[in-house]
Amino acid sequence: MRRILAALWFSIKSAGQNFRRNLGVSLAGVFTMGLILFLVGGALLFTHSVNSILQAQQANASKIKIYLSDSASLASIADFQTRLQHDPRVISVSFESKDQAAKEASQDPDIQQALSTLGSNPLPASLNLDIKQLTDLARFDQMAKSTPIADKTTATDYNPDVINKLHTVINIIEVVGGVIALILFVISLVIIMNTIRTAVYARRTEIEIMKLVGATDWFVRWPFILEGIIGGVLAAVFSGGVVFAGYHVFVQAAQRSLLSLPFDGSYTVTLLILLVVGGVCVGALGSYMGVRRFLSV
Amino acid sequence: MAVAERPEVAMQLNLRPVISFHGVSKVYPTGTVALRDVELAVLQGDFCFLVGASGAGKSTLVRLLIREEVASTGRIFVDGQEITRMARRRLPKLRRKFGIVFQDYKLLSKRTVAQNVAFALQVTRPGQRHLREKVEEVLWIVGLEDKVDKYPDELSGGEQQRVAIARALVHRPRIFVADEPTGNLDPDTSWGIVQLLLQINHRGTTVLMATHNREVVDLVRRRVIAIEGGRVIRDEAQGSYLRPGEATL
Repeated sequence: MRRILAALWFSIKSAGQNFRRNLGVSLAGVFTMGLILFLVGGALLFTHSVNSILQAQQANASKIKIYLSDSASLASIADFQTRLQHDPRVISVSFESKDQAAKEASQDPDIQQALSTLGSNPLPASLNLDIKQLTDLARFDQMAKSTPIADKTTATDYNPDVINKLHTVINIIEVVGGVIALILFVISLVIIMNTIRTAVYARRTEIEIMKLVGATDWFVRWPFILEGIIGGVLAAVFSGGVVFAGYHVFVQAAQRSLLSLPFDGSYTVTLLILLVVGGVCVGALGSYMGVRRFLSV
Repeated sequence: MAVAERPEVAMQLNLRPVISFHGVSKVYPTGTVALRDVELAVLQGDFCFLVGASGAGKSTLVRLLIREEVASTGRIFVDGQEITRMARRRLPKLRRKFGIVFQDYKLLSKRTVAQNVAFALQVTRPGQRHLREKVEEVLWIVGLEDKVDKYPDELSGGEQQRVAIARALVHRPRIFVADEPTGNLDPDTSWGIVQLLLQINHRGTTVLMATHNREVVDLVRRRVIAIEGGRVIRDEAQGSYLRPGEATL
């Protein structure tokens, strides 16, 4: 027990000493790791923000109006509405009468003028559906067209062009985000391994002596791994702070430009934890792999 | 005739070799043959010079002994244990039997003399009691008791080599291996280092010293193992650097 504690204490002490003695190389490592964690954190937050904006758009987009024929009876409309309400793909259904439609449309002064010129109300009543999945819109459009109570000329306000475009944009952003994250991951691993290798190279004599006097491989490794962990945590805290501040500024700018982007506090906390865990893992793993080459004495 | 060369005498004295090489060859991946069919036995308490020109195979022999390299063929025993096929995880224990010094002292420049010496114990025997006393004792043996808090840069070459010797001694090795320890030192200083190695040998530690230093070898008159082209060409109990009539080595 005494020996284990002494070994642990020696590891912690020499990790700290090494960090201070080779401050330049250590800080360069922390800075590189911090920069990459910052990029990863920034990319994750950016993707998350774009996604939440798009999700808001998608929520708006996944609405469809089924225009009702003027000749449809109230009973058949109520019947159809109940059927839709029980459909698992539907979030909500509401009925909009001809008068409500006219009132809604009158908010546009041109339409109001046209309506008053006409004297009668040509706008149809409608069932307004809120749907879970954007992809289901086309099916509801089809369903409406085959329903006798729907308006014969314009069954719905479904516009496949807009929907398809939005869908393509979401797909592209997801793919591009994934590719960028993958590239960043590979670059970061290579840079971190080389930085740590440089730091380890600066202390190859120490490793050589340890091996020659009969220290075990793990005894040689531990101070380096601890040092990698210290560096990883410092890098995560530094990059987390910058990402957090950047996110704050970004959200404010987005809100000024009227984008519906709320400040997602819980995601930020998750991200900070993720960065620290990532920093610790990358620091430890990088040190382990960096030392391995010099252990073969 | 050295005891090691007379197995029957060694048996009678109940002496077992602390180091033995049996038909050892070493071929590097590049194809260079560094050692050929080496037979060698060193008894506990021996003092041996390993002599030969650069590239003769002295350093390879030392590296095989401490298992920095693995022999291509043949078997090597240290303290009764076969080391050629020893598992990697057992190497630390093997290396603790040795005290090793090199031509380039391999000191840590950012640690003091005492810290350099203590380092060897801290990394092999964490939690060692009376660390300070042990370090001071070996520094006294090598004559550096007044340089405890100096840094390597503040010492002369000879003093730095003494620190390296103290570091190699502090865990009380059974075998002391010195690879060209006087290679960078002037004759007077070299002589001081050899005196120190003889003193270590006098305390019962086996000493193996690979060297180029002709004056030292000829003055000390101890066992000389001469290597040329990877072969042991001469093994004499009280040898000299060159055989009479030999022009160069």
